[in-house]
Amino acid sequence: MEHLGVLVTLAFRNLRRQLRRTILTASAMVIGGGTLMFSLSLGDGTHEEWIDSGVRMGSGHVAIEHPRFRSGRKLEDRLPAAARDAVEAVLRSPAVAAQVTTASAKLTVTGMASSAAGARPARIMAVDPVAEAAFGTIDDQTVEGRYLEPDDRLAAYVGVTLAEALGLRLDSRLVLTAQDAQKEIAGQLVRVVGIYRSGVPEIDQSLIHMPLATAGEWLGSGEDVTNIGVLVADSAAVSGLVRTLRAELRDPIAEGEAAVIGWREAMPELAAAVAIDDFGNYLVYGILFVIIGFGIVNTVLMSVMHRHREFGVLQALGLTPGQTGAVVLFEGLSLTAVSAVIGIALGAFLTWYFFGDGLDFSGMMGEEMTFSGVVIDPVIIPLFRPSRFAQSITFILFIGTVASIYPAIRAARIDVTESMKFDR
Amino acid sequence: MTDPTTSAVRTEHVWKTFHQEAEEIHAVRDVTIEIARGEFTALAGPSGSGKTTLLNVIGGLTRPSRGQVWVAGRNLTEMSNPELARLRLGQVGFVFQAYNLLPVLTAMENAEFPMLLQGIDPDERAARVGELFKRIGLDGMEGRRPRKLSGGQQQRVAVVRSVASKPALVLADEPTANLDSAASDALLDVMRELNEDLGITFVFATHDTRVMERCRRLVRMVDGAIESDKVRS
Ligand SMILES: Nc1ncnc2c1ncn2[C@@H]1O[C@H](COP(=O)(O)OP(=O)(O)OP(=O)(O)O)[C@@H](O)[C@H]1O
Ligand SMILES: [Mg+2]
Repeated sequence: MEHLGVLVTLAFRNLRRQLRRTILTASAMVIGGGTLMFSLSLGDGTHEEWIDSGVRMGSGHVAIEHPRFRSGRKLEDRLPAAARDAVEAVLRSPAVAAQVTTASAKLTVTGMASSAAGARPARIMAVDPVAEAAFGTIDDQTVEGRYLEPDDRLAAYVGVTLAEALGLRLDSRLVLTAQDAQKEIAGQLVRVVGIYRSGVPEIDQSLIHMPLATAGEWLGSGEDVTNIGVLVADSAAVSGLVRTLRAELRDPIAEGEAAVIGWREAMPELAAAVAIDDFGNYLVYGILFVIIGFGIVNTVLMSVMHRHREFGVLQALGLTPGQTGAVVLFEGLSLTAVSAVIGIALGAFLTWYFFGDGLDFSGMMGEEMTFSGVVIDPVIIPLFRPSRFAQSITFILFIGTVASIYPAIRAARIDVTESMKFDR
Repeated sequence: MTDPTTSAVRTEHVWKTFHQEAEEIHAVRDVTIEIARGEFTALAGPSGSGKTTLLNVIGGLTRPSRGQVWVAGRNLTEMSNPELARLRLGQVGFVFQAYNLLPVLTAMENAEFPMLLQGIDPDERAARVGELFKRIGLDGMEGRRPRKLSGGQQQRVAVVRSVASKPALVLADEPTANLDSAASDALLDVMRELNEDLGITFVFATHDTRVMERCRRLVRMVDGAIESDKVRS
């Protein structure tokens, strides 16, 4: 084992001997590693922002719902009480609770909204006001009045387009009609407490929020819900949570009464957009590091070329060709490893120090950017995931190894007797 | 003829042929020689007579085109490259004409390098190198890099390195060629001493009459073949 130590010593001292060349190559690696961290954290931050906006308007990072709910949005496609209890138990368990930021259980049905001015089709979402305010973004988009509050009973929160179509103002009355639990048409009188503008036409013209308790009485569904939306702090936790929930809900899932859906499944276009964007970024990193890799090949190869005699001596002393190659590989690897760690740490630190509170891209994005029906916040907060650090270091070490292989083979294969000739 | 396994070196009908363009160069021609343990032998002969090539064949740095070579009783012609490397590590020390040392290691680190590869523990390494440095007049030079040593001092470090690992055989190719006469004499004196006191086998390739004078056995080569082989009384 000790001779591994001496090979490392040799590698480091040789790098120091070629200080200028080493610093030059290391700087390229440091800048590369720094850039990688900067753009990865911003890329991840951007995607997290897209995902967050998307899931808040949609069904959450993870949705638990009746398997037929998504296609029909009918009252009969409710979650069985047992499934709901199981979900709540999972969400309360310490390991999961640490990742979950909000869960909102809701009853969503399709129906009609009518006033003296006319009638319009409506998507009626009955919610717990506090949970839904934390879950969605629509409560922040009030243009008149306020969002639902816990004591509200006959309250409705309507979109600005629907309000105009039905001639509704604050305190106006409207009647909601939908099929109830007995499959009878039932009506419910409510009052407008607030009007919102989300910026998404389909939502502004049809989505109505109302208290869950009121809807339960109106439709005869009690405390039942059709779907539960869960938000987590980091979307990276989603697949784990989906797995846990599926395991806990094994029985209702087997009986076709519940389904657990991650955001990628629920919003395939968004998942594809993230994947395409990631792919584009990876391509750029790939090209960047191939260029840096050639720099390493050059540095290490030059040092091999100038040291034929030294490698000849090493082999005469009893190093095998393989060990001689290993000396070179160590040299390339220590050069990359040290500069990779410095570059990544520096990149992460500088990104956090200067842009930790977010980078404002509003100048580049214009007024409002929507993305398949989702409004995107122009301020991007960089996101640092531990897995990204590990990935980046692995990636850079891989590049370093690949770049050192050719010079290492050259060193292993030198002709010892040739290299020892004195007049060379 | 003695048993090849008891001598330090034995070659049997060794040829080394290089092909250059259409030409065949026989650098070593049908050399059969036996060198007993503890000998102090010089290979002499004009430039191009094959001295270096023969040393390289004996040291396992290059393979003979024909014939057999034994070092410390082991047949080199049957070994793989890594096996040859291990044989060099354990049994053969080398001293070359110049630039023998690894420039990034100190004199001490250079001298103990083969022992480090052999896995000898630090105390033992320090003791062996310390003793040899004292004997050879390198006291106080342990921490110096090769660049800060004279040519003669560098060669002495190389000699310490070649013997400290207790090889069966030390091969020295023109070790004095870059030294002035005083440095050459000093270097040869210590090698002769090491040979007599420790029984280490030395084989030199040389043009230097000072080296030849000190050797008990003088082998003359011409055109790759052995012309004469004399043991001095
Ligand atoms: N790699 C090689 N390719 C072709 N010919 C070679 C090679 N190595 C040595 N030779 C030839 O083999 C012959 C013997 O060379 P060698 O170096 O062994 O001689 P030498 O006795 O050591 O000479 P010197 O006293 O000049 O060191 C020479 O003619 C040389 O040109
Ligand atoms: Mg020679």
